[in-house]
Amino acid sequence: MVEGDKRKWAIKLTVLGDAAVGKTSLIDKYITDSFKENYSPTLGVNIVTKDIRIQEDNSEIRLLLWDIAGQDKYELTRQMFFQGCAGTLLVYDMTRYSTFERVTSKWLEDFKKYSRPDGVYLLIGNKSDLIDSVKVSSEEGNSLAKKINAVEFIETSAKHGENVEKAFRTLVSHVLKKSGVKIDLE
Amino acid sequence: MIGDYKGFVKNRVVVALLQAYHDILDYDGMKSILREAEMMYLKDIRDKNPNDSINFFSFKKIISAQNCLLYDSSILLFEIGKKFSFYLFPFGISFEEIIDKINSLIITDWKVEIIENNTNEITVQVDRCIFCSEIGVPCDLFEGFLVHSLQKSLPSEHLVIYEMNKQDINDPNHNNFVVKLKIKRNFK
Repeated sequence: MVEGDKRKWAIKLTVLGDAAVGKTSLIDKYITDSFKENYSPTLGVNIVTKDIRIQEDNSEIRLLLWDIAGQDKYELTRQMFFQGCAGTLLVYDMTRYSTFERVTSKWLEDFKKYSRPDGVYLLIGNKSDLIDSVKVSSEEGNSLAKKINAVEFIETSAKHGENVEKAFRTLVSHVLKKSGVKIDLE
Repeated sequence: MIGDYKGFVKNRVVVALLQAYHDILDYDGMKSILREAEMMYLKDIRDKNPNDSINFFSFKKIISAQNCLLYDSSILLFEIGKKFSFYLFPFGISFEEIIDKINSLIITDWKVEIIENNTNEITVQVDRCIFCSEIGVPCDLFEGFLVHSLQKSLPSEHLVIYEMNKQDINDPNHNNFVVKLKIKRNFK
């Protein structure tokens, strides 16, 4: 949309993955640069906004970040949460192999079924700081990203902030690119 | 938010709306909207007297936050509207009474009116709808409210289908609209 000379966009993004893979922590780190040690499950959906200003292009992007609960009890309402979603981070926990398997068997399937057909997705292996407990190798992550046609594969640590900003910016860049807008945020 | 937001809204309206958010988006979803509206203190409003009021400006801040966060989420807004009706008028009152009451529970510069009432079709006119006054926002929530309000006052074999002219949501006057509610008998 255009307001005066300024270009403005609202982009709805989701973060998907099994319970306790670190979806909320990734968003918290990105938005407030904070990290909570104690796990507290998301109840339903937590929605936050972040405005990105691009000076050189006189543009403003409002990100609507939907942190969707991973528990099975939200199966029915979750379908409605996907409407209008332009992109998602598909997150697994590098220390739990089952969460990696569920990326394809559950989350990617749901995203393709209920989101926009041109929706963009990135594969995220989170908790890269827990080096001694890693069960999913970087090679496996890379290989899955290629297999499912994810636009990129990134390993993150929500705890230390490693690659968190990069993950969100990459996703937004790809969403804009898909809409025909050339702005490099990466 | 720009504009003149004079008026009052009964606490029971706010409680019903928050309960509707809670049902559809769960606790964190409801909190997201209140946080965006900078009205977190209202999350315990159900403990207050339902017949007291908050000022309309505060209520409008919640609606604006909702419309911002639920941008492009018409299905969710429609479902929230249905739940809003369910919690605001939980007992069996007629559709006509509901329309009367909604005008008296939300006192501001708006009007909801039945302009035609036939056996199988009711036409409702909404002037300056407060749920979709922002440019770019369709009125899914209030449509859901109207559909459910009529549906629950009918016998179970009746089904409400609504019709509305396509709105140009970029027109500043798009919050003036007419909804036709058609009652169909569901033969099994």
